[in-house]
Amino acid sequence: MDTFFVVIGMGLCILVLFVLYRVVYGPGVFNRVAALSAIGNKTLIILLIMGFVYHRVEMFIDISMVYALLNFIGTIAASKYLEMEGSIS
Amino acid sequence: MEVTLLIEAMDTSVGLLEDARKKAVELLDSAVKLTSETRGVEEKKIQAILKGAQETKLEFLNVIATFIILFGFWVLLSGKYDFFHLTLGVICSLLVAFLTHDLLFANARVGDARVIFQRFIMYVPWLLYQIVSSNIHVALVVLSRKKPIDPRIIRFKTKLESDISWVTLANSITLTPGTITMDIKDGEFFVHALDKKVADDLHAGEMEDRVAHVFMEADHIYVQDVLDVAPIFGELKKGL
Amino acid sequence: MIQISDDIIIKTLARVLVPFILLYALYVIMHGHHSPGGGFQGGVILGASLVLLVITHGLKDTQKRISEKSVAIFSSLGVLIYAGIGVLCLILLGNFLDYSKLAILLNVPLAQARSLGILGVEIGVGLAVMAVMFSIFCNIATGGKQAEEDND
Repeated sequence: MDTFFVVIGMGLCILVLFVLYRVVYGPGVFNRVAALSAIGNKTLIILLIMGFVYHRVEMFIDISMVYALLNFIGTIAASKYLEMEGSIS
Repeated sequence: MEVTLLIEAMDTSVGLLEDARKKAVELLDSAVKLTSETRGVEEKKIQAILKGAQETKLEFLNVIATFIILFGFWVLLSGKYDFFHLTLGVICSLLVAFLTHDLLFANARVGDARVIFQRFIMYVPWLLYQIVSSNIHVALVVLSRKKPIDPRIIRFKTKLESDISWVTLANSITLTPGTITMDIKDGEFFVHALDKKVADDLHAGEMEDRVAHVFMEADHIYVQDVLDVAPIFGELKKGL
Repeated sequence: MIQISDDIIIKTLARVLVPFILLYALYVIMHGHHSPGGGFQGGVILGASLVLLVITHGLKDTQKRISEKSVAIFSSLGVLIYAGIGVLCLILLGNFLDYSKLAILLNVPLAQARSLGILGVEIGVGLAVMAVMFSIFCNIATGGKQAEEDND
């Protein structure tokens, strides 16, 4: 069972590398914001898989909930900044 | 000669009777207007009292309901059920419920919350089934060789009224793959759809009907319309 | 001055989520001894929930709920709780922040007195961190200018 989780975690890490291409080379800032949100989703799952590997899931659930929350607030703040065409006031 | 005098007398008497009738009608009109005005003022006073009482009752119920939901959330999060941690949970839930009681239930109607909650729980499995079937459809479309996608933007007006039902419908549309809600302006939805089949599913409106059934909207008679029609109906009956 | 957002989805989601985020931050503070968390982390999540309220409902409405005066009071209160518990231990003839001397005051065993002392200190830290983060965000967002009421 541990090997299964480790293999899945590594597969997700490779997918993160694919999305990282959009963060670096995405023409424009909207591509970068959307790609960062997608990387945040995958990071959440990788954290939970690490919790399964170390047999202490209840600890990693707290961490992943906090990370999901901060990702959500960060995406809303970035999109609000971009909506006002560069000035927030 | 007496005939002309008689005719003149009849004319003046008819004129006098006409004046008297006109004055009587004027008196009646002003009396009706006065009574309806006072009745309107009285009704407004009663409405204000009822609304104030309902608002305080709603506020107290808001605090209690928010406290119960937050305490349930705390018990779910914390795995320890001894006296010390549960007391901490009660204190924290009370504090947060007092600070934010007007946030969670801003547009709630009294007495409907239990039914809405049950109907919402029965709505979720149908939504999961829709998500799975849309997933399969979009995967087949994307993975085929010709990629027959036909992206389009749909706008449609909804019959839902409150903001929570709008947000539920928008999130349900975004959760099913193939459609994304872009904007809601003045009760009109702007949705980006991937091809014709998902657009037709959206136009059929089954999801909207189910969300309206969950939040108990668009399926009741408006009482205010009946009350507005009633005086006109009375007038018509009098004229018969 | 951050205006109120005219997107109804974000406004409704934010107003439904903020009580749960506040309760989750208090859970993280209270369970610092058992799972990852503690004072500073809980304070950051509290500040993040207030920032969410600002960017969706506008700066004015949020300052009606928490004025700048109460933010200043919160930060001072947090430091007062922290230093107060330390000085209380000094008064009870111990070292600074020597929680074992609190057992005399609370009539509990020694280990539990230490645990309660740390819990109190974490609550103070959380309050101070929340107040300072919210105040820094508001100051940077408004550029340091006070809100002018006759320019509405």
